[in-house]
Amino acid sequence: MDRRWTLIGIPYLWLLLFFLIPFLIVFKISLSDVALSIPPYTPVLDFSQLGEFFSGLDFENYTFIFSDELYVNAYVSSLKIAVISTLLTLLIGYPIAYAMARAPKEWQPALLMAIILPFWTSFLIRVYAWIGILKKEGLLNLFLSNFGIDPPTIHNTIWAVYIGIVYSYLPFMILPLYASLEKINNSLLEAAADLGSTPWKTFWQVTVPLSFPGILAGCFLVFIPAVGEFVIPDLLGGSDTLMIGKTLWAEFFSNRDWPVASAVAVVLLLVLVIPIVLFQRNQQAQREAGL
Amino acid sequence: MSPDGPTAVVEEVRRAARRTAAPQSGFAPWEKPGEEPVVRFENVTKKFGTFTAVDDISLDIYEREFFALLGPSGCGKTTLLRMLAGFEQPTEGRIIVNGEDITKVPPHERHAVNMMFQSYALFPHMSVEKNIGFGLRQEGMPSAKIKERVDEAMALLELGQFAKRKPHQLSGGQQQRVALARAIAKKPRIMLLDEPLGALDKRLRQTAQFELMHIQEQTGTTFIIVTHDQEEAMTVSSRIAVMDHGELVQVSTPGEIYEAPQSRYVASFIGDVNILECRVSDVLSSGQIALTWSDGEGNFVAQAPPMNLAQGQQVWLALRPEKVRIGAGQPDSPVNAVKGKVENIGYLGSISHYHVELGNGQELTALRANSAQSVESAIDWEQDVWLDWPADAGVVLTR
Repeated sequence: MDRRWTLIGIPYLWLLLFFLIPFLIVFKISLSDVALSIPPYTPVLDFSQLGEFFSGLDFENYTFIFSDELYVNAYVSSLKIAVISTLLTLLIGYPIAYAMARAPKEWQPALLMAIILPFWTSFLIRVYAWIGILKKEGLLNLFLSNFGIDPPTIHNTIWAVYIGIVYSYLPFMILPLYASLEKINNSLLEAAADLGSTPWKTFWQVTVPLSFPGILAGCFLVFIPAVGEFVIPDLLGGSDTLMIGKTLWAEFFSNRDWPVASAVAVVLLLVLVIPIVLFQRNQQAQREAGL
Repeated sequence: MSPDGPTAVVEEVRRAARRTAAPQSGFAPWEKPGEEPVVRFENVTKKFGTFTAVDDISLDIYEREFFALLGPSGCGKTTLLRMLAGFEQPTEGRIIVNGEDITKVPPHERHAVNMMFQSYALFPHMSVEKNIGFGLRQEGMPSAKIKERVDEAMALLELGQFAKRKPHQLSGGQQQRVALARAIAKKPRIMLLDEPLGALDKRLRQTAQFELMHIQEQTGTTFIIVTHDQEEAMTVSSRIAVMDHGELVQVSTPGEIYEAPQSRYVASFIGDVNILECRVSDVLSSGQIALTWSDGEGNFVAQAPPMNLAQGQQVWLALRPEKVRIGAGQPDSPVNAVKGKVENIGYLGSISHYHVELGNGQELTALRANSAQSVESAIDWEQDVWLDWPADAGVVLTR
């Protein structure tokens, strides 16, 4: 019993120290007022003046970010970019995962390795490499000009952001998809064919429903980090690419308005956490109903 | 009936052997010349790389048959069935169903054939009724008609109360019935069953065997079953094809397979058997042959097999234990009588197996019912006994 608690306790202690406490600090900052000092906010928590401290806290930063179109637009734009990127990743990742799961057994470890291989290079370097490919005099345009095609402008546009996100997060889609597709017994597909289902119908009636847990896991793994993505829009996107991660960074470091920046971060967390919690409850209920 | 126990047993077992073929009595389309088979394998060969799974098999199966493919694992029986379902392509040869060459037809277009899988292959995300209706939905049948057919199949297999359950909420026996109902609901002309009862325990398996026979009779479907269980094949089928290393060894009714095996392989694969290595000493005019042990000792008489035998040729006498009479006293007739010592007794309640060592070191097994008479003349370990059998009890085999 004791050992079990230790085992469960360690990750929870980790989450407490490195997630919950920092989050509470950010939350506290978001309720403070901006000031020109170091750190650039007031008040610092002083236990002797606890009453005064709480009375100093208010939600005006939250009302501010909802009244300013910039923040709302940044949220909506981030969600839109994340949704489209997730769908693109799913569209590209599903056939790859499917082909991997159907490949001869002895090839599968090598194919899996190939998917994981990019992680051996730093994420940042890989995104920088895309600049080299996509920029005006980059490899892609050089290649296209050989065929007399007018070089398109991709770098510093939303397209470069999509390319960057889809490229970076593809493995996170493929791995859970592969895991769920690989578990589907071939005899189920044979049974469907035997009962008169064409390969295409079998795919939609058997393969897709049975890989649904993988689809869901992959979509969450791509969607959640994509919403808050900062590096990719910063390096590949142009000034017109509005994403909440960039707004957050500008608020913290350019504008030095920590309270508003913290409020933006808290709202972002809620935007992501609430649907996940609702979804998980729904899943739990379905499982209990005997799905 | 003879008053003494052992002969009564012999009679009883013989009658039982005949009874296995009895339900099909009069049903023997394979004997009628000109009868069109519903399934015909024509010189079918299947190779996986260098391994030959099915080796040049030609086989006709007729309407309403309950046909069993029997053999040890890896003998090619499942591959043969999968080729009929369309999951494997023959390397050579043709498969004809209802007079139509279907060798190249993909599985989803083989409407005459449906398969019940060894693993059942039930769709885990669908309820029992959705599983059973799956095949009908693919045909684009109106939903009222689908419901009718699903209900019919569920009634046939007593699954009504499980209609809304998912497969994982069912026991093994119930899953097996859903798998059967799903294939039967399509009303195929030919049902393929790949080890359909392999996952059930022994008692459930026996009930399920009779259920299968019942459904086969009710629906009038041709059943082709793959099994490695010889008892199962004997119980359910009209004919059995015994396979070994991708080849058909013998195709006959259960009674013939048991009573008249054509090789030592078939004889020993089905039931217990004594195989005696013998030499032909004389071919008698009475349709019998005289045999000796390989070393020339002894003298037996047996029914002559249909093929020509040369004097001195090595043959094997296959002798079922239940046809060997065991007794303490010397039998009246000296024909086929040998003396030995009881080495081992296997007591099975209603019957006992006696393992007897003969003077020349040969082992012979005899079987006797433990009736009231035999208890009086009890046979003990280490006892000297006489064994004898009628001339027509054994089968002379050349391979």
